[in-house]
Amino acid sequence: MSSQAISIRDLHKHFGDIHAVQGISLDVQQGEIFSLLGPNGAGKTTAISILSCLLEPTQGDALVMGHSVTRESAAVRAVIGVVPQDVALYPDLTARENLLFWGKMYGLRGRPLAARVDEVLETIGLTDRQKGRVDTFSGGMKRRVNIGVALLHRPQVIYMDEPTVGIDPQSRRNILDSVKELNRQGMTVLYTTHYMEEAEELSDYIAIMDHGKVIAYGTHPELVRIVGEQDRITLTTSGDYDGLLDRWRRLDGVSRVSTEGEDTVTLLATDGNIILPRVFEEATRAGVRIASVQVQEPNLEAVFLHLTGRALRD
Amino acid sequence: MKLLDIALKDMTRHFRSAFGLVMMFVAPLLVTGLIALAFGGLAGDGGFSLPQTRVVVADQDEGGDAGFRAGGLLLDAMNDPDMASYMVVSTAADPAAARQAVELREADVAVIIPPDLSAAVTTHDGSAVVEIVHDPTLTLGPGLVKAVVDGVVDAFNGARIATHVTAAQLAEQGLPGDRVVGQVAMRYAEWVQAQGAERDRGEYAAIAIQPPPGVADDVSLGARIIGTIAVGMVLFFVFFTAASTAESIVREDEEGTLARLFTTPTSRSTILAGKLLAVGLTLIVQTIVLILLARLIFGISWGRPLAVTMVLLGTIVAAAGFGVCVMSFVQNTRQSGPVMGGVLTVSAMLGGLMTTGIPNLPAALTTVTLFTPHGWALHAWKLAMEGAAAGALVAPLLVLLGYGAALFGVGVIRFRRRFA
Repeated sequence: MSSQAISIRDLHKHFGDIHAVQGISLDVQQGEIFSLLGPNGAGKTTAISILSCLLEPTQGDALVMGHSVTRESAAVRAVIGVVPQDVALYPDLTARENLLFWGKMYGLRGRPLAARVDEVLETIGLTDRQKGRVDTFSGGMKRRVNIGVALLHRPQVIYMDEPTVGIDPQSRRNILDSVKELNRQGMTVLYTTHYMEEAEELSDYIAIMDHGKVIAYGTHPELVRIVGEQDRITLTTSGDYDGLLDRWRRLDGVSRVSTEGEDTVTLLATDGNIILPRVFEEATRAGVRIASVQVQEPNLEAVFLHLTGRALRD
Repeated sequence: MKLLDIALKDMTRHFRSAFGLVMMFVAPLLVTGLIALAFGGLAGDGGFSLPQTRVVVADQDEGGDAGFRAGGLLLDAMNDPDMASYMVVSTAADPAAARQAVELREADVAVIIPPDLSAAVTTHDGSAVVEIVHDPTLTLGPGLVKAVVDGVVDAFNGARIATHVTAAQLAEQGLPGDRVVGQVAMRYAEWVQAQGAERDRGEYAAIAIQPPPGVADDVSLGARIIGTIAVGMVLFFVFFTAASTAESIVREDEEGTLARLFTTPTSRSTILAGKLLAVGLTLIVQTIVLILLARLIFGISWGRPLAVTMVLLGTIVAAAGFGVCVMSFVQNTRQSGPVMGGVLTVSAMLGGLMTTGIPNLPAALTTVTLFTPHGWALHAWKLAMEGAAAGALVAPLLVLLGYGAALFGVGVIRFRRRFA
């Protein structure tokens, strides 16, 4: 049997004139944490929906644990667990009732179901609150139940679609740790996010997506090498910086200048420490005051900026 | 098994909703009770209570032969102890005083007995007028007084006709009739008296009034009237519950749980069927509970058990089909409120659910009701409540099942297309 958990070939999905996914091809090996990183609207959720058999691809196919999502959807659905982007639970049922119901939908019954629900409640740290109605839970607790549902049937592959959106740092930390723990137990994780820190921390492999396409694909070090050893300098300015941007572009060592919002400018440069005094000089000559400056070593944000000319959160 | 799991989960959610419970059980009974109270209240025996009517009588009757006084008999009838809870009778010196009592609202009704009443009664071609004056704002009390007066006057007329016919037949045969006519009058009077006594004992020699077969004979008139109101309310809220339960498909679509269900190894057909099963099971629970509670609270008799079962089945299938069909046209829960309110109210009005208490509706309106499942459900329930046997309910049942199947089919097709 192939060691590939997921194999995607030339996947397309069109919604009328909108091409949400445009020819994605990827392989995810069993036991990996694989992240799809990209801004909102990049096509990550559409790709996950196709892999979950929620949407039919317009073209192409994908195999999940050897089963085609277009021809063997029942077999695919039996081996996957899905953590949707928004909490998808019954708010008027308790945490335990939710888990029992979803367990039944995955074919679990009787004592094995009850025992598995107990285990999952332990895993997500909600044993004490199992009789509480979900609509009384905090956002973080709901997220944990949301993840717990996907674990009930011990899936071979788990899809997690931006599971940390809109929650507090502590809950986010818990979720990231639980993803690592699930992976340690042998689960293959397909994780989508627009937070590069999460992708960097969790992933064995990362695919960067933009406008429905995979624009870069590899391990974290491999991706960072795309931009070379360039630093990312983020400047907050006061005043009209329009004339200043060309001056900065002409500086030796600056490979790219882009704007973010009305007062933020980002530069990619070979060495931030060397270039920074000249950046200030040009700003002073142009009469633009720099309010704050941040220098970051090469990361995925810089990769995305390098490849698209836009920041990841645009 | 998953089918039942989905249905039970939906029912659990619905029965945990305070709004759902109120609309399922409290509202139909509350509205029925309020309407019943508005129409006169409920007496201890389940009948309607009437306010006591104050009657003032100006008895001017001068009497007839042998001390006979028709006016005195009329006054005795109004003073009958059985009528004491409905009217309190006093006398006035003359007609003017009686009329003034009504004008001053010291009395509700004045009965003015003319001086020649006894003379009119004892002659075969005589006539006299008993005058009834009443407060024009009142209807029930004056109607009751008029009924009592009419009853006595009818008895007088009956006796007069009997004696007149007897006298005429004796005269034709050339026989003297004075003594016989007197005996006939006496026998007629005894007969009328005997009829009254039998009526008081609850025995009806001439006419036997019985409830329809299948209707409990201990059901009071009040309970029957409330029954006609209750059936409309029960049906309205059953159709509402059907739509409200079917709304869970739309709600789950919004909550994301429907999409999540589609990612589990559960077929879409099973998921949809489970949700539709929830609608049917919820309606079964609702209708059975409502029927039992209405029986306990209002004493309503719904009909023979088999007939009720048939009508129940037809109602549930038609209502479930209606609810699923309506909800299949709704895109989100923001739409469902106005759509449910509008469609349910209009269809209930067209189906006659809002006019169950109004007798003798125009024929056109009655015809229109049969273009809706509500109207057929109402028709079937009325038949059952009138004691119809199962055979008489086969046609309405088939129509209701047909309506249910057609509406259900439309809803299912639309939902399947939507979630394909």
